[in-house]
Amino acid sequence: MGAYLDAALIPVGQALLSGVLVGGVYGLMSIGFSLAFGVMRIVNFAHGDLVMYGMYVGVIASTAFGVDPLYAIPLSFLLMALLGAAQYQLVFKRFVGAATLQQLLAAIGLGLVLQMIAQVVFGADARSAPSMFGGQFVLLGPLFASAAQIVAFIVAVLCTIAVEALLLGTRWGKSVRAVADDIEAAELVGLSAQTINITAFALACGLAGIAGTIMVTYYPVDPSKGLSLMPIAIIATTIGGLGSIRGSFFGGLFCGVVQQLTAMLWNSALQDVPLYVLLLVFIAYKPTGMFGFRTE
Amino acid sequence: MSLLAVEGLSVAYGDVLAVRDVSFAFEEGEVFVLLGANGAGKTSILRCISGMVPARGGAVTSGGRRLNGLRPHQVARAGISHVPEGRRIFPNLTVEENLAVSFIGARAHDNAAGALAAVYEFFPRLAERRRQFGGTLSGGEQQMRASGRAIMNVPKLLMLDEPSLGLSPVMSELVFERLAAIRAQNTTILLVEQNATCLELATRGVILQNGRVLLSGEREALQDSEFVRRAYLGV
Repeated sequence: MGAYLDAALIPVGQALLSGVLVGGVYGLMSIGFSLAFGVMRIVNFAHGDLVMYGMYVGVIASTAFGVDPLYAIPLSFLLMALLGAAQYQLVFKRFVGAATLQQLLAAIGLGLVLQMIAQVVFGADARSAPSMFGGQFVLLGPLFASAAQIVAFIVAVLCTIAVEALLLGTRWGKSVRAVADDIEAAELVGLSAQTINITAFALACGLAGIAGTIMVTYYPVDPSKGLSLMPIAIIATTIGGLGSIRGSFFGGLFCGVVQQLTAMLWNSALQDVPLYVLLLVFIAYKPTGMFGFRTE
Repeated sequence: MSLLAVEGLSVAYGDVLAVRDVSFAFEEGEVFVLLGANGAGKTSILRCISGMVPARGGAVTSGGRRLNGLRPHQVARAGISHVPEGRRIFPNLTVEENLAVSFIGARAHDNAAGALAAVYEFFPRLAERRRQFGGTLSGGEQQMRASGRAIMNVPKLLMLDEPSLGLSPVMSELVFERLAAIRAQNTTILLVEQNATCLELATRGVILQNGRVLLSGEREALQDSEFVRRAYLGV
């Protein structure tokens, strides 16, 4: 009996483990999306496309320069942060504080432009960039995990902790939270909302870059990858609570686990279906998510 | 040169003029009051001084320096602290963080600990609540917090928009008592009120009606005016 139960539980444990590992990277991707919304009320549909570019940074490092994609993480952060700052300045600045239809359309249009550029520059074929851990597996009792996924998970957790510490513990972080709460009152105490917004947006985009670069060590990239990742970021952020960093990270973990359990118990082609159902449930009954912002 | 001079100021929202050709000026150490009913243009004048709304016409200067055209954070950094109507605390920041952001804004990081202690001495209740989130404070505590945040950097000019609005009589008395104490520390105050009892604190002021100056003068002249007697004392 015991052995029978164990045998039944192993696939579940395996799905949970894989889900958490994949979900950590989803979490990192989602906190940037959540940050842009929480601080500026910008719904950045192009966020996934920056993840896609972060993946290509890893591919280029590996194929053109023979450098392990993991070493390209700082560069990826920097490049996507700069690209994000430029996007903010050129497109999103005028929409701060109002997630309007125009803002959504601008973000979607921007995403399409980024995808077209990727298509022209990198081609439509899927590319990958295995790291030094690629193809290695780690045995954890009866379960196993890909070493690349474990490393990616650790990087994602460290980045999330760093962002939380930045927001809670630094002067810049306090200013960001003040602007998020009340942009006008923040200006009245002498904070430059423009400076804070552009740096916060750059950080959000830099995190997307990191998420992409660690993801490409185990997951191939093509120009449409960003768009296909966006539903995960939206669902993770809605479940976790828009604007909550911690919540979005746990929302990402949750998405990863639900995907893997669905794939194991049902069908991997339908792994996102329960997520969409949950998204609708949350929007209908708990739109602030599990860790939503306190409001006055 | 006046600490603050407003000359021929007009403020409009679209086609609607909220403030028409208003002029007044006051010196360092004064408590200047803008008195008037709802819609008289008091808040618009403060918002224009702070750079939150542009002037349609006229000028605002401080010590001869023109303020029109500056962004709100630049006006704040010039030493003009504005406590807006409704207090506007940051609900997701703790009381202490709410106070700390004004140092960050003023780029005064050196004396932060000392000034924080001074604010806590001034408003002991804030010290008790320092770890609470701003959103959990009572109205009076929020006013203390807002005023505390504004006086953190010892501003040249403290502008308060109806600090007693929505407070209990006891709380509102406490807030005015604290204002008197802030004034005693030689901070100049520009006070916007509907309530004529605030004239007790004032040196001078103007009475506004429909965006225009109805009367301008010393405290006694305002207290004895027909407008104040009729509107507030029912005489």
